[in-house]
Amino acid sequence: MKRVCIPISTLILIPVTLTLLLFTGCQTDYDITDVAPADFLDSEEHAPHDCDIDHDHSDGECEEESPEELPLDDHVEDSHAGHDHAPGTRNHGTQWFFNQPWAAPFIWKKLFRDGGIFLALAVAVFFISGRRRKK
Amino acid sequence: MKAVFTFSLMTLRMLFRRRTLWGILLVILLALAGIASVPSFDVSNQGRFILDFGLFGIEVGALLLALGLAATLFPRDRETRTLMPLIAVPLARWQYLLGRFMGAALVQAAALLVTCLGLMLILLFHRLPIPGDLLPATLLIIIEGWFLLSTVFFFSFFTSPPLNWPLTTMLFIVSQMSVAEFVGIMPSAPGLMRTIRMILPHADVFHIKDPIAHGFEIEPVYFLIAIFYGLCYSAFMLSLALAVFRGRDLK
Amino acid sequence: MADVHPLQVVNLSKQFPRKKRLGSVQAVANISFNVRQGEIVGFIGHNGAGKTTTIKCILGLLKLTNGRISLWDDVPAHPNVRKRIGYIPENPDYDDSFHPMEYLRMFASMRGLADVNSEWMKLLKRVGLTGWETTRIRQFSKGMRQRMSLALALQSNPDLLIMDEPTGGLDPIARKEFREIILEENKRGASVFLSSHILSDVETICDRAVILSGGKLMAEGSMTDLLGEEHLYRITVISRKTGEEVEETIPEADLQSRIDSIRKDNLPIVKVEMALKSLEDVFMAATGGEKQ
Repeated sequence: MKRVCIPISTLILIPVTLTLLLFTGCQTDYDITDVAPADFLDSEEHAPHDCDIDHDHSDGECEEESPEELPLDDHVEDSHAGHDHAPGTRNHGTQWFFNQPWAAPFIWKKLFRDGGIFLALAVAVFFISGRRRKK
Repeated sequence: MKAVFTFSLMTLRMLFRRRTLWGILLVILLALAGIASVPSFDVSNQGRFILDFGLFGIEVGALLLALGLAATLFPRDRETRTLMPLIAVPLARWQYLLGRFMGAALVQAAALLVTCLGLMLILLFHRLPIPGDLLPATLLIIIEGWFLLSTVFFFSFFTSPPLNWPLTTMLFIVSQMSVAEFVGIMPSAPGLMRTIRMILPHADVFHIKDPIAHGFEIEPVYFLIAIFYGLCYSAFMLSLALAVFRGRDLK
Repeated sequence: MADVHPLQVVNLSKQFPRKKRLGSVQAVANISFNVRQGEIVGFIGHNGAGKTTTIKCILGLLKLTNGRISLWDDVPAHPNVRKRIGYIPENPDYDDSFHPMEYLRMFASMRGLADVNSEWMKLLKRVGLTGWETTRIRQFSKGMRQRMSLALALQSNPDLLIMDEPTGGLDPIARKEFREIILEENKRGASVFLSSHILSDVETICDRAVILSGGKLMAEGSMTDLLGEEHLYRITVISRKTGEEVEETIPEADLQSRIDSIRKDNLPIVKVEMALKSLEDVFMAATGGEKQ
């Protein structure tokens, strides 16, 4: 009897497709806008503004936006104030969730969930490709 | 696992003996020295500038090291037929891949720690305080470097090194983009773009240069979770690389 | 119960895909043979006959298109099988920043062998690399790399030695040394599968030979079977027409009648000698003398 051979690409696509479904099944993603509390999004000072990426970190026109700011080291305290950026955009890399106490646990959960999924996928792909090679 | 450790040690020795490592390390250190020599308006800004761009330099260094160290490993082994006696007798394919990866990862980590030390020396030279989180931040960049290394290994099993470089660099750039930015590339298909972006790595979680430059307090649990995420994603990329490698004929 | 052979190849076929619309290349087509315990089997064929492809299939480096390969009744590339094999690749090469001692130590560790310095020194002496133990491989000639390859293959006292053109490019003295080592290993109990272009080597040391041409098995058998047990004689006479010497090979049974007939014709017989059939004759006859 002729043995039916499923191409390896198909076998890898199956878990990848399942992951896609799993991901899209989740209501939220990494964007802050999806989970930010309404009062945060509604508050005027967190609306998108003209402050650019500002990698020189000079105190410029954003200064007046300075809301309730955060614990800072002495050497940066003054210059940092007013560095909140538009929610959902991460102009400063991960900075946005370090200065929003409610955002940190959110991103931790996401990272933990994704890490787990990718680890499970890695194990699945390792064993599937190994089984096929032995055949 | 003894075979894997021995082979990784062999890879480590081999990479230390190649000029590529020392060349890239020199370029990163020179870039850091260049960043430090840019004049600033005041002392506090200069400290932040050096930290911010210094960590950025180390991160780009991680990409260069991943490409420089790993892009040619498998193609060279194949071309010089060094691969045959290894795969035919003492090593299984997964042991070969893991051994090569571990060796390159150790070399890359050592090189990035040297650049971190270089950044510390620059800060000391300018009489600026060294933030306590600088070393953990470098550790996160090392984890990002390992993810990039696993990506380079993945591409190296079915592309040539000249194609591996742009592909890995492209993934590096995309992995820094937020979902909103990524959807902006093709706004007509937001659902598809969001899904693709969620599958692609979120390498921006390894960048804490801004919080460090701004003196934010970073909770240790953040480091642990980001490291967990990075290692899992690297394992996923390596398993894909292994699947491709296992499916290949070694002519 | 049937004997468990160190190597058994059954209906092996290997096709290499080419670009679309060009079809595929049939490198090996439906070949079967085996290597029995304690045998030295020669594997001969011209360039592109499929020898290296077959060896790579045996070692698990290539996937089989069809057929079955078993090593001691196990699949190729199985860890238990791999431990018992010594392999010398064609044109071996190694990372040239290392030296032979480093390679032997690392291979020993990867194979789970004890790292005994004196053993490795002895091994390097045996393959003729004394004095080169700590010299970087980049300074080695092709022959020296082959000697190193032999040292690595012998390191684990393998039960099966698979050699792909091990003596190609070696000088006659080195070839003789290689042959002696192969015979010593065989005496120790190792089976040997030797692929070679050098037919005289195969004829000298092999118990059996497998002849391949164009990916097909053309002949297989013991040296006695292949070379034939029947004695042949070569008669040299002077031609009456041209005055030149003419040779004629005939079986022993017809020798006397032929001599009588030559004498009857009054042709001068220059000499009568035993004609030995060589492996080259067998190879040329089996492959039709073709070079594909």
